[in-house]
Amino acid sequence: MSTLARWLGERVPLGRFDIKELTNEPVPEHLKRWWWCLGGTPAYLFIVQIATGILLAFYYEPSAARAYESVRFVTEEAAYGWFLRGIHKWGATLMIAAVILHQMRVYFTGGYRRPRELNWMVGMCLLVCTLTIGFTGYSLVYEQLSYWGATVGANIAASVPVVGPWMKTLLLGGEEYGAQTLPRFFMLHAAVLPALMICLLVVHIALIRLHGVTDLRFRGDESKPPKPFLFYPDHFYTELMIGLGLTVLLAALATILPATMGPKADPLSTPEVIKPEWFFYVAFRWLKLFSGTAAVLSIGFVLFVMFVWPFIDAAIRKYTRFAEASVWIGIAGALSIIGLTVWEAAVAH
Amino acid sequence: MRTPETPSEGPATRRSLLSRLCGWSMGGALVAAYGSAAAVAGRYLFPARPAGKRWIYVAQVASLQRGHALPWRTPSGERVSIARVGDGQSTDDFIALSSTCPHLGCQVRYESQHARFFCPCHNGVFSPEGKAVSGPPAEAGQDLVRYALRVDGPLLYIGLSERQIASAGQEA
Repeated sequence: MSTLARWLGERVPLGRFDIKELTNEPVPEHLKRWWWCLGGTPAYLFIVQIATGILLAFYYEPSAARAYESVRFVTEEAAYGWFLRGIHKWGATLMIAAVILHQMRVYFTGGYRRPRELNWMVGMCLLVCTLTIGFTGYSLVYEQLSYWGATVGANIAASVPVVGPWMKTLLLGGEEYGAQTLPRFFMLHAAVLPALMICLLVVHIALIRLHGVTDLRFRGDESKPPKPFLFYPDHFYTELMIGLGLTVLLAALATILPATMGPKADPLSTPEVIKPEWFFYVAFRWLKLFSGTAAVLSIGFVLFVMFVWPFIDAAIRKYTRFAEASVWIGIAGALSIIGLTVWEAAVAH
Repeated sequence: MRTPETPSEGPATRRSLLSRLCGWSMGGALVAAYGSAAAVAGRYLFPARPAGKRWIYVAQVASLQRGHALPWRTPSGERVSIARVGDGQSTDDFIALSSTCPHLGCQVRYESQHARFFCPCHNGVFSPEGKAVSGPPAEAGQDLVRYALRVDGPLLYIGLSERQIASAGQEA
């Protein structure tokens, strides 16, 4: 064993001390609260999505003629295919939920403030990537929801002034949904977006390590001396336990509520009721409330405000006396999102 | 699971024993959980057994005239066009093609006056043998799916996979 360790140590000059130095970063005491593990949760689920996605890609065929049949094959014939597809589907749902909760936690605790503004912006890019990867994911099944969801999505992109039609053509690989569309969606879903997200995650985590985690003090703790603890093993084991808990939850969801298949895409018949996945309900309801271009531009504006929020918040704190305005704006924003989502979920049209 | 507080050397205490037991349990659970996941992945990747083919009666050979197509549905609902392309009595004198356009899944129809299959959705044209000739399917190199046929005396049979037969059982 020692010979092997020596041989390896000579070729990989990384000692035990170096590994400890890399992993045992002291983290603030408040990270012992489970609520502060929401950053690791989407990261863990992302790994689950990559693993199950690679397995699903072994059988998936991205063409209009074969896509639906290949998903049916995975679901009904390949050994454990239904289970892996269920985990992939529920993993996506939980990942999006975890990303939103993580972002809300960072927002309401002011974790985005100076000097961490750039990391908030990287996080916003990750949020947009996560939503896009969710959209391209359910478009791949080539059921009615996939086809009409992609068609509606492309038409929404087309209503952006100036670059809209160009964006639509680029997304669909032509003027309309055709033979080039599914390979494009597949490449975006399985290669471009995951690669981009890995790069963004590296920057996100690197910035967290460089800045360290914000030391939060709760009411009554202000005078107490800081009591940091080591990332490894303490926080690492907490994340590991959450990972195991999530695995059990995913397995249960995939078994009790397995991923089903809707009717195959029919370009000639638009379904009576068409709804996207739950995470787009808010945008879908918004699009019904306002005309196409106004709705798209306002959604773009909201995303832009969210993107540069750390600077807007800094200006509010500096030039006005409403130092805690971000909390009330955040509550109003969160309630609006929840309200629009519930509204869309509750009605047929 | 060793924490800084855990005594790693010296006589075994109840605390160190419990700590080790916890560590082993956790390690065991991890190996069991992710080991099972790896086993599932391995089994999933192992190719499924190829489905066997069953022969189903379609029509009397004499009932089909040359140049005409018989619309037919598989037990699972897939539409198939079965046409006679020769005057003989052999399997080569018949052809069975899926009526579903490989472009976007619309239904193609046989136009005997032009001797071609035509998809009205995007003007896809296929030869009587199912080869894409023009339109989006030809650009993408997507031919019509061909089914196996067998002539047994005066009777014509189509070859379907076990899945298509099983679907019929479920629907019935």
